[in-house]
Amino acid sequence: MGSPFDINGGACVAMVGKDCVAIACDLRLGMQALTISNNFPKIFNYAPSTYLGLTGLATDVNTVSDLFRYKVNMYRLREERHIAPQTLANLVSSSLYEKRFGPFFVSPVIAGINQTTGKPFICGFDSIGCIDFAKDFIVSGTASEQLFGTCEGLWEPDLSPEDLFETISQALLAAVDRDALSGWGAHVYIIEKDKVTQRLLKGRED
Amino acid sequence: MDHFPGTWGRPRNDVYGAYNPQYLQTTGPKTHTSSPAVTGTSVIGVKFNGGVVLATDNLASYGSLARFTDVKRLRVFGDKAVVGFGGDVSDMQYIDRLLESIDIRENYSSNGNMLNAKNLHTYLAKVFYKRRSEFNPLWNHVLVAGFDGEGKPFLSSADLLGTTFSAPHLATGFGAHLAVPILRRLFPEETPIEEISREQAVSALKDCLKVLFYRDARSLDKYSIAVITQDGIDLKEDEQIEGQSWAFAERIKGYGAQTN
Amino acid sequence: MTSITGHPAGGEGIGYSFSQPTAAPVKQHGFYPYTDNGGSTLGITGSDFAILAGDTRSTSGYNINSRMVPKVFKIGGDDETGEGAQIVLSVVGFAADGNALKERLDAVVKMYKYQHGKPMSVSACAQRLSTILYGKRFFPYYVHAILAGLDEEGKGALYSYDPVGSYEREQCRAAGAAASLIMPFLDNQVNFKNQYIPGSGEGHALEAKKAEPLPQTHVEQLVRDAFTSAVERHIEVGDNLQMMIITREGIKEVFHPLKKD
Repeated sequence: MGSPFDINGGACVAMVGKDCVAIACDLRLGMQALTISNNFPKIFNYAPSTYLGLTGLATDVNTVSDLFRYKVNMYRLREERHIAPQTLANLVSSSLYEKRFGPFFVSPVIAGINQTTGKPFICGFDSIGCIDFAKDFIVSGTASEQLFGTCEGLWEPDLSPEDLFETISQALLAAVDRDALSGWGAHVYIIEKDKVTQRLLKGRED
Repeated sequence: MDHFPGTWGRPRNDVYGAYNPQYLQTTGPKTHTSSPAVTGTSVIGVKFNGGVVLATDNLASYGSLARFTDVKRLRVFGDKAVVGFGGDVSDMQYIDRLLESIDIRENYSSNGNMLNAKNLHTYLAKVFYKRRSEFNPLWNHVLVAGFDGEGKPFLSSADLLGTTFSAPHLATGFGAHLAVPILRRLFPEETPIEEISREQAVSALKDCLKVLFYRDARSLDKYSIAVITQDGIDLKEDEQIEGQSWAFAERIKGYGAQTN
Repeated sequence: MTSITGHPAGGEGIGYSFSQPTAAPVKQHGFYPYTDNGGSTLGITGSDFAILAGDTRSTSGYNINSRMVPKVFKIGGDDETGEGAQIVLSVVGFAADGNALKERLDAVVKMYKYQHGKPMSVSACAQRLSTILYGKRFFPYYVHAILAGLDEEGKGALYSYDPVGSYEREQCRAAGAAASLIMPFLDNQVNFKNQYIPGSGEGHALEAKKAEPLPQTHVEQLVRDAFTSAVERHIEVGDNLQMMIITREGIKEVFHPLKKD
């Protein structure tokens, strides 16, 4: 059998713009080549401007997203404040490393705006919690190679929220159309300091 | 009297036990070289203003055994080309015989030796590629040094798969890891070779051979070096690595993370 | 058990043991005849031109063999200068096979000209290349080939191949190590995939932006952008960008530096 990361398929990407960030994912869930569902979003919300994308083994995507829902709720009850994206990044990192020798087969991506500093933040992880702090974009999933190509080609610094939406959408759609295991529409979140816009994209259905 | 000639001269089974027939296996595919036996390590070469230098050490190893310590791995072809051999030594000797017969044939032809280093490299690459395509490779990685058709310094590589490439400085085997970075630092690829003198090139190769002797366990401090210029080939085959300093060795402990 | 003499062996007295069939396992070959030399190639056509490009890095494993090993070749021209060629071939994968393939196709195109007194058309050459590749179906040339030229109408023609000869005429194609990075970018920027005409309708009524041949300068810029992007994210791509631009005037070859890290 192939890698657990490639069984269900899926793609996720996060990008930084000027005073904004974006995160997007596809909607497919499959078993190898067979598509099971075309409504399986991979982005989860943990605070008003903090989002986590999870690609990889679908059962682990569910488990890990629920685990962080629990952990972030506990954090909010104890601290009486929302979790910052940087804090979530460290929580994700240490939680994944706890399972160093029996990892969750997920590749997480975080996008958000820190409400204290007002600065955009994105990062990505490997399945055992090594953080990749990037200033431009983070990609993950079975279409990650394609996403590296489209993002590297389309992204530029200081994009406005509207331009960032167009860029991340085109990057994701172009990438998933060249990946047999990803696609079937997309969710895109444009996160500004005090506004989040969610858009649903229709994509190729094959 | 034994009436079966097939057994004459054979050790008696009642004394020595039955012959192990596995050694006489007649089934299975025709056997080819699927791994090298006696091998030579790195070949290194660099172009300079007006020529090329090529160097190898004089060792032929049998696995980890330093089996033959006086093997010349630089072979002269004609009067302006040298081939440096890495890999299997018996295959090297085969290729050497091949090249010798070509050289003789060329010399009998109308106007002497016409094959330059570039032609020689093309030929060798095709021999390698043909043999790999027959699943019967010549297990070598060679550097060919000399001049091209326009009389410009020529240095190129060919290996057992028929892969070829050319660069201002080249090294095979361990040298690709240890010598090339040294050569690239000394002679950056964007600087024209006209700015590299013969002395600089020779001393750079000597430094590389020294580093290889320090760190390549299958290497030797006796080496051959050939300087190819339009005036001919200056080949020295009994050189000794000089100015060794093993002071660094006592500071090496563990694998790097260990500090005391 | 019989011996070579046909007499039963091992009975009494002296026995011998030549060529007895054994259960010894058949020896396996330890020699793998291929290697991957990395690199990437890319071709795009326009209404009256075709561009074939490739990087010039040659690798084996994590080593850089050389920073200047071209992957794009003129076919059917002069041996040294390439003069007179009208067809261009790029090969990426196992470089030794690539060279062998190039030399075979070059010989074929030259023979065609000598025998028929006219240059081979791109479509004929494309079909012949497929036949050559399929001829080694059970010991393939381990390469992804792209063939480019101008068709009978003077339009840019581009054919891409798999290692055993399946081929197709296309507007654009990336091959090699960074193909998966470059190809979706090309879909988006050359064929305008996923792009719609703004204000042409609401929702599903939106009209897709149609792909049409791009001007040459624009295509050149796209090729350079595609490669600078690929260099950032793929270690086997870099050093120099070699571009062959085929027009009615002939083939122009240009080199641009790429990052060398």
